[in-house]
Amino acid sequence: MGETKNEYRLLFPLLPFLAIVPYLALQGENSSTDFAWMIVVAPFIAFPIILISGQVYNKNETWKNTFKEGGILGLAALLVSLSTTIWIVYDYLIGSADINNNDVTSWLEWISFDILQSDYTMAQNRVLGVGVWVDSLTLMLLFVATFLCFLICWFAIGYMTTDPINEDSNHRFFAEFVLFSLGMFGMVLADNFLWLFIFWEVMGLCSYLLIGFYYWKESAAYAAKKAFLTTRVGDVFLMVGLLILYDIYGSLDFAVVFDDPSTGVGGALVDSGELFWALMMLFIGAVGKSAQFPLHVWLPDAMEGPTPVSALIHAATMVNAGLYLVARLMPFVDVHHHGVSGLEDFGLIVAWIGGITAFMAASIAFVQNDIKKVLAYSTMSQLAYIFTGLGSALYFLNINEYYAGYFVLGASLFHLFNHAMAKGMLFMASGSVIHEVHHAHDHLHHGSDHGHHDFDPQDMRNMGGLASKLPVTATAMMFGSMSIIGIPLIGGFWSKEGIIAKTWSAYFHGETLMLGPALLILATAGMTGFYMSRMWFMTFAGEPKSEVVDHVHESTPWIKEPLIILTIITAVGGFVLAVLGVVDFLSNKSVNLSLHGKPLLDQIIYELEHAFLPEDQKLRIVGWITIFLSFIVGPIMASRVHGGRLKEGEKANLFVGWLVNLSGKFGKQDVSWLAESQLSEALDKRLYFDDLYEGVLARTLIPFADFTAWFDRNIIDGIIKQIESKSVLGSFEIRKFTTGSAGDYILMATVGALCIFVLLMGVSF
Amino acid sequence: MTILTLTPIGVGLLLLILPQLLPENLASSMRRFSRNVSFGVSMALFAFATYLSFTTFGGIDWLDINMGEYELMNDKPVTLISSIGVSWIVGVDALSLPMVWLTALLIPLSMLVEWDAKEGHIFHPLILVMEGALLGVFVVLDLFVFYVFWEMTLIPMFFLILVWGGEDRKYASMKFFIYTFTASVIMLVGILVMYFHTGDISGVSGTLTGHHFSLIEMNSEMIQSEGLRHLVWILLLIGFATKMPSVPVHTWLPDAHVQAPTAGSMLLAGVMLKMGAYGFLRVAVSLFPESTVVFTPILIILGMASLVYGALVCMGQTNLKRMVAYSSVSHMGLIFLGIATMQPLGIAGALFMMFAHGIISPLLFAVAGAFKHHYHTLEIGSMRGIAHHSPYLAAHMMLGWMGSLGLPLLAGFVAEVAIMIAFWMSFGWLVILPALTLIITAVYYLTSMQKTIFESNDRHHGILPDSLHGEEPRDITWNENTSMFILGILTIAFGIFPFIFFDMMSEWSSEFVREVLLNHLIEQGVKP
Repeated sequence: MGETKNEYRLLFPLLPFLAIVPYLALQGENSSTDFAWMIVVAPFIAFPIILISGQVYNKNETWKNTFKEGGILGLAALLVSLSTTIWIVYDYLIGSADINNNDVTSWLEWISFDILQSDYTMAQNRVLGVGVWVDSLTLMLLFVATFLCFLICWFAIGYMTTDPINEDSNHRFFAEFVLFSLGMFGMVLADNFLWLFIFWEVMGLCSYLLIGFYYWKESAAYAAKKAFLTTRVGDVFLMVGLLILYDIYGSLDFAVVFDDPSTGVGGALVDSGELFWALMMLFIGAVGKSAQFPLHVWLPDAMEGPTPVSALIHAATMVNAGLYLVARLMPFVDVHHHGVSGLEDFGLIVAWIGGITAFMAASIAFVQNDIKKVLAYSTMSQLAYIFTGLGSALYFLNINEYYAGYFVLGASLFHLFNHAMAKGMLFMASGSVIHEVHHAHDHLHHGSDHGHHDFDPQDMRNMGGLASKLPVTATAMMFGSMSIIGIPLIGGFWSKEGIIAKTWSAYFHGETLMLGPALLILATAGMTGFYMSRMWFMTFAGEPKSEVVDHVHESTPWIKEPLIILTIITAVGGFVLAVLGVVDFLSNKSVNLSLHGKPLLDQIIYELEHAFLPEDQKLRIVGWITIFLSFIVGPIMASRVHGGRLKEGEKANLFVGWLVNLSGKFGKQDVSWLAESQLSEALDKRLYFDDLYEGVLARTLIPFADFTAWFDRNIIDGIIKQIESKSVLGSFEIRKFTTGSAGDYILMATVGALCIFVLLMGVSF
Repeated sequence: MTILTLTPIGVGLLLLILPQLLPENLASSMRRFSRNVSFGVSMALFAFATYLSFTTFGGIDWLDINMGEYELMNDKPVTLISSIGVSWIVGVDALSLPMVWLTALLIPLSMLVEWDAKEGHIFHPLILVMEGALLGVFVVLDLFVFYVFWEMTLIPMFFLILVWGGEDRKYASMKFFIYTFTASVIMLVGILVMYFHTGDISGVSGTLTGHHFSLIEMNSEMIQSEGLRHLVWILLLIGFATKMPSVPVHTWLPDAHVQAPTAGSMLLAGVMLKMGAYGFLRVAVSLFPESTVVFTPILIILGMASLVYGALVCMGQTNLKRMVAYSSVSHMGLIFLGIATMQPLGIAGALFMMFAHGIISPLLFAVAGAFKHHYHTLEIGSMRGIAHHSPYLAAHMMLGWMGSLGLPLLAGFVAEVAIMIAFWMSFGWLVILPALTLIITAVYYLTSMQKTIFESNDRHHGILPDSLHGEEPRDITWNENTSMFILGILTIAFGIFPFIFFDMMSEWSSEFVREVLLNHLIEQGVKP
C-alpha cells in the first residue's frame, strides 16, 4: 500500500521486451507467422525461471519489490506474446498476409510412424507434429487470450502481492499462470487436433494447480481435484474422438482433414455414422472443458482459486476452449463445402445441451450470494448461449442453409469475444471488490481475531452501497453486466441477439426440435437481466449492509488500469466491431474486417436496422421480446428487490449515479417468502447434481475398488501363498543358513558362483 | 558392449570381495572408497552409453537398420562353452538400445538417491553388479548367457531387499526370489526345447550336442510341429509375463516394492520389469510370430486385465508405495495391448511405453522412498499439506504423478496415444476400456495427492504422521533432489521431443511387422 505511484517504475524492465517485435517487424525478412512460435516459447521460458528463482530468492527484498515475486517476469513474457499477436493480427487484417492461405509453419515433428492398412500395405511415414494454423477464428481467440492474459497478469501483480495470505508463494502463482497462458496460446495456434488436445490438457493441469493454489484449504484441494477429474472425463472421450478421426482421415492436421471432409484416407467416402460418433466424442470433451450440463459441476467450485485465476481461466480463456473446438468442427458439417451430410442431429444435440445449461445455470445464479459464484454461473450460462448458437450453426450448415449458418456461427464467436472481454473484466472487478472489502475488514479488526473467521469478503450480503467507494470498479462492473445482459448497443447485445434470432429461425424453418433450446435461451435472456442486475444492486446500490463498507477504498495499485481498458472495450468495442462486419469476418474466410466500401454512417444504420428491425416479421417479435425481457423485466425486478439509494451524503460518479438513483425509484418488494421455498433450496444445492454424482461414485466405484484390492490380497495372492507355504514347509532346514548378515550372503553367493563356474569349465573341457 | 556389461560386474564383485580378503586396515580404507568408486564407474558407463547411443545416431543411420541386424556387435562370436554351443554374442538394435541407455542412466541415479545408505560399501557395489547383469540381459544374443544374466539380476536384488528392506523384508525377498525364479525355470524349459531343435552350424554349435543357443541363428521354422511351437510360446509367455508382471502373476511385485529400499524399487520398476517385455519381444514374438498372431486374444485379455484390474486395485490402496507398484502393473498391461495391435505404431508405442515408464516409475518410487525416509510412513492421508514442509518433494510428486497418469507433454502420453490410435484401428470400441482406465488412473493419483500435498487446513503447518513423534520433517536432501530433478527433466524432454528414441523404435517396429508378422497376419486372415 501507500507506494502507489512509483510502482510503475517497475515497468521499465519491460521496455526491451516491448522492442523485440517492432525490431523483427522492421527487419521485414520474415512474415509474422514465422515468429508465432514466440507466443508459446516466451511463457515456456518464463515458467521455470520464475518457479526456480522464486524458490531460491524467496525472502529476498529485490525479488519481492522489484520483480514482484516473478510477476514482472511473467508480464514480460506475456508482453512478448501479446505484441507478437498484435503483429500477426495486424498483418492479416491490414498488412500483407493472406488469411485464405493457410501456409502452415511447422514447428516440431513429434513422432513419425507407419501404419499397416487393411490391404496389408504400409502407409509410410505418417507424422504427428505441430505447426501454426491461422484463420479468423485463430486471430480472434489469440487476441482475446494474449490480451486478457496480459491484463490479468497485470491485475494479479496488484491483487496477489498485496494479500498477506499469499506471502512467499506468489512465484508459484505467476509460474503456473504463464504455463497456463502457454497452454491457451498453443491450443489456439496448433494446426491439428492432437496438439489442440495436448495444449488443452496443459491448461487442465494449470487449472488444477491454480484452483488448488491455497493448497492447505480442504475446500480448495477438493475443488481442484473435482475440476481435474470432471474435465478429465470429457478429455478421455475427446481422445477417443481423436482416435476415430485419425482412423477416418489418416491424419489429424486441419489442412488434411478440412481439405475435403467427405473423403477419408485413400479416397474412401466418409461414413456419416462413424463421423457422428467422432464428433460426439469431441463434443463431450468440449462439454467438460466448457462446464456444460452434465459435466458442469466443477466450475462453481473452481472459484476456490485466487480471483485472477477465476478471471483468467474460468471466465475469459480456458472455458472458451470447448467453444473453440466445436467451432473448429464446422467444416465437417458444412455441406456447401464438401461437408458430410446427415449430421443434423449433432447440431440439435449441441443446441439442446446449450439450452439446458443456459437455463439451469441462470436459475441457480438467482440464489447465489457469493459474488464470484454468481459470475461463475453466469459464465456457464453465457457459454451455453454460444453452444446453442454453434448448435444452430451446425444444423443450418448441415441442411445447406449456409447463409444462416455462417451468420449464427459468426454471431456465436462474436459473443465469445464479447463475453470474454466482459467476463474477464467482471471477475477482475469482483476481485477488486473482494480485495478492498477484505482489506477494509482487516483494517477495522486490526489486531483482534474477533469475527475474523466468520466474515466472508465475497458475500454480497456484507456489501451494498459501494458505488461511491469504488467508482472505477462500479463503472466497470456496470458496463460488464450490461454487456452480459445484452442491453441494447452495448457489447454482448450485438451478438446475443443474433444467436437467439437464428435459433428461433431454425425452429421456424421447420425443425420442431429446435423449439426447446430456442425457448430456453429466450427465457434465460430475462433471467440474465435479473441475476446480473441483482448482483450489481446488491453490491453497489442501497445502504451499506455491514460496517466494513465505510472503510473501503480503491487504493491498491495495478488494479485499476485493466478495468479501465476493458470498460472501454466492453462499452464501445461491440458496436465498433459490429459495424466493421465482424460477424461475417469470423464465419467466412473470404471476408475481412472493413466497411465494405460503404460510408460509415450507412453501415451504422444498416447494423442498427439489422439488429432492431429484421425483415422477418417473426424474428422481429422474437428480438423485441428478448430486449423487453432482458432490458426491462429482469433489471426492474432486481431493482425492486435489491436496489436503493446510497446512504445520505454519499455520491456516486456520473457513470453509475443515475443507475443507483433509478434503482431507488422503484418500490421495495419483500421476497423473503421465496427464499424459504423448496425450489430455492434446490437451487441453493445446485439442483443436487453434485450430491448425485458423489453419491453414485461413493456407492459404486469406490467400494468396487476396495473389493478388488481385497480380492487381490486375499484370493489371488492367497492362492500363491498356499502353494508357497506347502512347499516352504520342506525347506525350513535350508532356511537356517539365512543368517541375515550381508557379508555371509555375499560369501555364500561368491562360493556358489565359483562352483557354477568350475562346473561349466569342467563340462567344456 | 562387452565393456559395458562386464566392467560393472567385475568392479562390483571386486569391491565386494576384496574387503573380505584383505587385511583389516586396508579393507576399511577400501570400504570408504567403494561408494565413490561404484558411483564413478556407473557414471563413466553412463557417459559411455550416452556416447554410444548418440554417435550411433550420427555414424550409423538408425533409420536404415534392418531387422535382425545388430549394431555394435562383436564380429566373431567368442565360444564360451564349446561342448554345448554357448558363445558370447552381444549387440544392440533399436529394441535394446533405449533400454541400455535407460539402465546406464538409472544406476547412478538410484545410487544418488541412496547416497547415505547404511553399509554403503556393500550397497553400492551390489547395485553395480546389478547394472552389469541388467545390461547383460539387454545386449546378449545368446540364450544361455541371456538366461544366466536373467537369473543373475535376481541375486543383487534379493540382497537389496533382504538387507536394506523394510520391516517385512525376509518374507518379501523370499517371495520375490522364489516367485520369479519359478517362472524363469518354466521359461528355461521353453528355451531348452528351442535349443534341442536348433540345427548344427559349424563354429557356433556345441561339439558335444550339435545344437546352439545363438539367437541370431534361430528361426521359427526350426520347430516343425505347430503344437510344440505354441507350447514353447506359452512357456516363454509365462516366464516373461511374470517378470512384467501381468495379472494374475503379479503379486510378487507389490510386496517386493513395498519392502525394497528406494534404489531397489527404482531399478525394479525402471528396468527389471522391462526385461519381461523385452524378452517377450526379443524371444517369443520374434521367433514365434505365428503363435503370437494366433494367441493375440490371450495378449488382449492379459493386457486388459492388468490394465483395468491393476488400476482398480490401485484405487483401493492406502499405502503410497503399494499404489505406485500396482500402477506399474496397470501400465505394463498397455505394453501387451500395444503388441496385440500388430500395428507398427502400436508396437512402437509399446516400446516407448517401456522407455517412458522406465523414466517415470523410478521418479514415482524415488518420491515414495523420500516419504518413507523423511516422514517414516507411507500411509496416504497420515501426512497432509506437505507442500509446506517439502516444497521440492511436492513438486516432484506432482510431476511424477502427472506423468504417470498420462498428461500430455510428458513422456507417458506419447506411448499412450500411440497405443490407443493403433488399438482403435485394430479393435474399435474396445478402446473404451483403456480410455476409462485413464479416468480411474486420474482418480487414484489425484486422490493420493489431495491427501498428501494438499489439505492441512493451516497455512503454516502440515499435518504430520505419528511416526515423526512431533518432529519437524526436513525437505528432501540434495542427492534425492538432484536425482528426481534429472528424472523430471527427462520426463518433460521425452514428452516434447519423443522422436529422439521414438523414430528409431517406429522404424524397428515397421521393419518387424513387415518382415516377421505380415505373412502370418495374412495367413491367419487377421485384418489389421
